[in-house]
Amino acid sequence: MTVLTEETGKVAAEQRPPARKRHAGERIWAFAFASPYILHLVALAAWPLLASLFFSMTDYDLLSSPKFVGFDNFTRLFGDPVFWRTLGNTAYFAVLFVPTQTALALALAIALNQRLRGMALFRAAYFVPVVSSWVVVAYVADAVFNPQTGIANQVLGLFGLPAENWLQDPALVIPTLAAVAVWKGVGYMTVLFLAGLQAIPEDRYEAAKIDGASAWNRFRYITLPGISGTTFLVLVLTSIETLQSFEQVFVMTDGGPHGASELTVLYLYRQGFQFFQMGYASAIAWVLFVMVLALTLVQFRLQRRWVHYA
Amino acid sequence: MRVRMLAAAAVAVLTMAGTASCGGSADDSGAVTLKLGFYAAAGDKADTTMRELVKEFTAANPSIKVQLEVAPYVKFFERLRTQIAGGQAPQVWLSDGVLVQEFAARGALADLTDRVKAVNAADYSGIELNKDAQGRVYGFPQGAQTPVLFYNKKMFAEAKVAEPTADWTYEDLAAAAKKLTKDTNGDGKPDTYGFRAYSPGFTESWWPIIKAFGGDIVTDGNRKVVVDSPQSTAALDWMLGAMGKDGFAPDYVTTEAMGKGVVHTLFATGRVAMSYGIYARTLPAVSAGVDFGVAPLPKGPAGRGNVAIVNSWVVSKAASQAQADAAWKWITFFSGEGPQRRWAELGEAIPINKKVATTALPADRGKAFLESLDEATDLGTNAVWSEYTEALAKRMNEALSGSTPVATALQTGQKEAQEVIDRFYAGQTQ
Repeated sequence: MTVLTEETGKVAAEQRPPARKRHAGERIWAFAFASPYILHLVALAAWPLLASLFFSMTDYDLLSSPKFVGFDNFTRLFGDPVFWRTLGNTAYFAVLFVPTQTALALALAIALNQRLRGMALFRAAYFVPVVSSWVVVAYVADAVFNPQTGIANQVLGLFGLPAENWLQDPALVIPTLAAVAVWKGVGYMTVLFLAGLQAIPEDRYEAAKIDGASAWNRFRYITLPGISGTTFLVLVLTSIETLQSFEQVFVMTDGGPHGASELTVLYLYRQGFQFFQMGYASAIAWVLFVMVLALTLVQFRLQRRWVHYA
Repeated sequence: MRVRMLAAAAVAVLTMAGTASCGGSADDSGAVTLKLGFYAAAGDKADTTMRELVKEFTAANPSIKVQLEVAPYVKFFERLRTQIAGGQAPQVWLSDGVLVQEFAARGALADLTDRVKAVNAADYSGIELNKDAQGRVYGFPQGAQTPVLFYNKKMFAEAKVAEPTADWTYEDLAAAAKKLTKDTNGDGKPDTYGFRAYSPGFTESWWPIIKAFGGDIVTDGNRKVVVDSPQSTAALDWMLGAMGKDGFAPDYVTTEAMGKGVVHTLFATGRVAMSYGIYARTLPAVSAGVDFGVAPLPKGPAGRGNVAIVNSWVVSKAASQAQADAAWKWITFFSGEGPQRRWAELGEAIPINKKVATTALPADRGKAFLESLDEATDLGTNAVWSEYTEALAKRMNEALSGSTPVATALQTGQKEAQEVIDRFYAGQTQ
């Protein structure tokens, strides 16, 4: 019987090749398996990002070679009142859209988290707008918000209220767009919340009931903490999505009336693809990117105070 | 953990962030491959006719092989920019007339001045309108558009109002329009209007009206914005009156609420008895079976304010000599009598071949369009037309919607549009 002493163990360890060498083969295989993703990341994410960073410091009209201009595009950007106005529009849209959609999605998820017959049908119904294109949604929205023929004004009329120019009034256009965006997107977030709700163990509710906790207290002290991780995910996704909103305004208002619904990405698109200012458009993209990143980092930092991963 | 979270956040954002980055020639046998681009909706009659004409052209020129690049308007020009950047653009393409100088000023187009000199300019419309400030020509006319006054004969007859004549003034227009405005269902709001004053397409709205009132939009080779003038104020006040106190034109909201593109059907669907419309507006009116006529634009204090857009064939600067020659062959083929007559049958543009134009247009409508085209000035085209007109239109629409006083809108619009022009021509950052 061989007795391994500390000394003999040390000798055996010294005689073995170092861990790096021993795992070299595995590392190569690991890289080989990861290479499609790495290539994808480099070709479709990293390279375009770096290219756009370069273009943001050039005078580039797409048709001729870019000319390096340093930070001129950024200087112009910070003094561009239209850019700031579009950013204000975007922020206003986000402030209306993010909390409304999150709260509504949660409420719907709770309502749909029942074991009742036909519930799958309701869940599917809320998801239909999510898979509809914005062009289709724009037609539906027109049927609701058209000042002459829309249902919204007919409903107001029933209560003796005056008709509104929902998408033609600079003061109403962003709230109307936010309402339509909530209608379209709430189904997806509802599904996320449903998954979160169904992951909360049932015995917690049973224990709380035995302890005499009211429905509100069960929601406040079990449901909300239980889905805080999902809520955080929903908030991050929705915030990023909102700051990048483009298709909806492109299809529904084209930024009108008089630029009241021109969001930053629509402004970026016009500069780059209509006005031959790809350098300036890239600068806008980068400023927007930094803002989105900063907002996301703040959300990640704050989540430690309220998100509980069970 | 914190670092990992930061990294996760960065990756999440990076992954989701949308950022803005984003020919052949003659062979030994002398054959040339020519990529030809034009915009048309799939299945559109224009698409079919163009393909047939290309077939005729290649049959007559067997050494030229044509590859077609067709897409709807917005997609076509969106793709064109990236195609040029990637060296994959067509060698000859149909350009919206207002975009010719935008592409030319950025070095994407071949200078056709010398080739055009060899053509008898008197045989074609629109060549002059295509010249830039230095007199160079970068596009050869394909089809022309100019607004005239469309009127619904049936509505005029029912209201017992005399049809418009070439002597009509803006006062005559307003007087007739008031009589033609009707509240047919008795709800206190007009259901049919005498005239359509506002349109998001300013070629058929405030641009010619300002010019008729003696104002102008840009001067000095289209580099100086001069829209802020008492004459422009008078023009916009007239339009606001039409949509407001005089009530013979649908207001801004009513028109905008109709949606993109639908404004042009106001006339075809009988919602308005008169409307300014370019030649292409005859199509929906004919399709809808409207009994209509056209008259010259009414006279304002400074004339009619006729303007025109000349859609044009342009040749890529990147084309080889053989391709450029083949492209020019195509352009001269398309401008010939046969193809121009075929194109005129579509009814979407005024033929630029004058001989064809005088015979192929409907007799009752052709005269007004051709006279209007003869008197027309260009639509203020320059290297930044899309951008400066958007800046200007935004302010004009504010004024026409009543949300901003006319004086403020004109002043701000002029300043902002001028900044766009100066930025480009001063060679500052983009």
